[in-house]
Amino acid sequence: MKSPIPMTYENEFSNGLIRPTRRQFIAGAGAAGLMLGGARTALGQARVTITGGDVAPMQIAIPNFVAGTASDNEVGVGVAQVITNNLKRSGLFAPIDPGAFIDKVTNIDAPPNFQNWKTVSAQALVTGRVTRQPDGRLKAEFRLWDVATGQQLTGQQYFTSPEYWRRIAHIISDQIYERLTGEKGYFDSRVVFVDETGAKERRVKRLALMDQDGANVRYLTRGADLVLTPRFSPSTQEITYMEFGQGDPRVYLFNIETGQREIVGNFPGMSFSPRFSPDGQRVIMSLQQGGNSNLFVMDLRSKSTTRLTDTPAIDTSPSYAPDGARICFESDRGGKPQIYTMAASGGPAQRISFGDGSYSTPVWSPRGDYIAFTKQGGGQFSIGIMKPDGSGERLLTSGYHNEGPTFAPNGRVIMFFRDPGGSGGPSLYSVDVSGRNELKVPTPGFASDPAWSPLLS
Amino acid sequence: MKFDKIDKTLIASVALHVLVIGWGLATISSRALEVMPQDSVAVDVISPDQLAKVMAGMKTGKKDNPKPLAEKVAEAKPPAEDTVGKIDDKKAPVITETAPQEQPKPVEKPVEKKPEPPKPVVEKPKEEPKPPEPKQVEKKPEPKVDPIAEALKKEEKKPPPKPTPVATTPPPQAPKKTERVFDQSKIAALIDKRDPSRQSITGETLNSNAALGLAKGSSTANIATWGAMFKSQVDRCWKKPYGGVEAQMAEAEFSISLKRDGTLEATPVTVGRPSNPFQRVYQESGLRAIIDCQPYKLPPQFFDEWKSFNPFFTEKSL
Repeated sequence: MKSPIPMTYENEFSNGLIRPTRRQFIAGAGAAGLMLGGARTALGQARVTITGGDVAPMQIAIPNFVAGTASDNEVGVGVAQVITNNLKRSGLFAPIDPGAFIDKVTNIDAPPNFQNWKTVSAQALVTGRVTRQPDGRLKAEFRLWDVATGQQLTGQQYFTSPEYWRRIAHIISDQIYERLTGEKGYFDSRVVFVDETGAKERRVKRLALMDQDGANVRYLTRGADLVLTPRFSPSTQEITYMEFGQGDPRVYLFNIETGQREIVGNFPGMSFSPRFSPDGQRVIMSLQQGGNSNLFVMDLRSKSTTRLTDTPAIDTSPSYAPDGARICFESDRGGKPQIYTMAASGGPAQRISFGDGSYSTPVWSPRGDYIAFTKQGGGQFSIGIMKPDGSGERLLTSGYHNEGPTFAPNGRVIMFFRDPGGSGGPSLYSVDVSGRNELKVPTPGFASDPAWSPLLS
Repeated sequence: MKFDKIDKTLIASVALHVLVIGWGLATISSRALEVMPQDSVAVDVISPDQLAKVMAGMKTGKKDNPKPLAEKVAEAKPPAEDTVGKIDDKKAPVITETAPQEQPKPVEKPVEKKPEPPKPVVEKPKEEPKPPEPKQVEKKPEPKVDPIAEALKKEEKKPPPKPTPVATTPPPQAPKKTERVFDQSKIAALIDKRDPSRQSITGETLNSNAALGLAKGSSTANIATWGAMFKSQVDRCWKKPYGGVEAQMAEAEFSISLKRDGTLEATPVTVGRPSNPFQRVYQESGLRAIIDCQPYKLPPQFFDEWKSFNPFFTEKSL
């Protein structure tokens, strides 16, 4: 996308309707609580403790957005579909089949008839409207309702140019996700990956970019040279990756807005497995030195390079913690490849992986709570997570050749690639950090080495 | 010095002891006993006083609940006096496809009429059919001859296919239906000749409280009863959000008032303010559950207690 989308949003709905504002509501509730509190002591009011309950996907109804003008009908249907698909894929929501709806939303400014939505067992309801403005922009509005209480949980409106309707749908999905789960969303994000085409011996590998749901695929390189390990900058629209050009493989920097490309540093020998620092100002990578490799960090502005490790071993796959204070990386200094952490400025390293087999490609969650890795052992490749101190190791998926985990911007979902072997090729998959909800990510052909972008907005 | 002299042997002895005991401790005491984790069983602890309140009942107690017990709405009918053991003989006899066999008769009748035991038995079969074989069989129970010896004799005489009276009796009755047909649907009829011993007590209005007089007014100790009922009902509607680390600390309290029919008197009021977005979502899930699950079926005699109380949802293990 060329430039940030011109977009404004206002939380203007909350006052417009019958509902009191949240603040008023809480104040009222507090007052009532005080009164009841007094009464309780007199009557000895009982407290019933409820534990249990099910963690279940939330039933949500997302009828097509109302079209402001007849020509907006297609967009209204499309927005509702994209939202439905996003929420469904998250595994935390169960969108209700529109065929079951017994009510039709025609005016989003009036409160819906909640009884009709209760009948189809909806717990939440999304109503929305898209309207083409006289100046050619598209106005998209939505309201999220709690069906049980009849309260509006959130409501927003956005203005954008019509071709970005998909992004609006992603942004609305994030709003709904955040309001209903209490966590940040991840739908308004993109994934860079290596697109693979052609026969197995003569595979063409191109760098490709797509929305996290698989739409809007765009190729960034032509496929003349082999590309590997693309990584998104956490703060800018830049990608760093490794490419086998003429001679040694090099780490490149690629700006997806301008299409410009440059080599990171000019080192003798191979440089590989790059990754950005959380502020996007530095790139950390491995440099080959003889049979070993060590970690270096380069400041992208000053081009100054700092050595972080100096061991007679292979140190590679570095990844920053979200606060930038520490890094995790893979090293075979103990014999087999294992995961280590150390201060981002270098110094002593602590080994954190102690299970059977070898560990590789560690990546720190944007939330900071987990480190994801590839684990090899017993003839299987597994994707797993562990806490940054090495405790709580949990494997999310196992099988022949799973590799290359990358976190969604909210740290709740991990994407990786799986190669079933044989004549086929690799595909992208996503899985919840709980290990549930494993899904194939649609790509045009074979795909490997995914890297999730930060949230776009 | 004296000390030195003593020291040498003492030190040697102490060192040896320490060595031996230390070795013993190190080798004999291996790992600590591993205790397998056991499934926990939830237990509500109530004090003896509370239990007494729950169990108490006084004949002279104030009649809090003057209406008689009624489980169904219908014309009032007093409970039957003798609800147990009433057998209705007038019921149509059960008809099975099986013809009664001879075999039981020889056994039953001798018992009933002891004075003149075998004769009627012997005669009866004689009159009906007159095949040669039955005679010999029926003779068997009649005198006080050792039946085993008889049987043995008979067996010697008889060809093998007729070893017992059971086998011998059917032929005479061949003209009747001898086929044994097993009909599953008639089993119940065979067994159940008794009136239902438990009948609903009817009345004009429902009242599930059997006691006319209550113990000593209302006691909060009864929360053990209706609280558990409320919990199990609201549990079914409660779909809580999936949360990461924050989820372990989540809790939400509401103040609710219920009507006599178990529906909410008003929208539940949240107690306390959510401290983070997940708490808010958690609170909303509880609120949704309370609203979705009504009406609640709670014991009416405790209405005074459950007409207003505080459900408390929590993830913290208690």
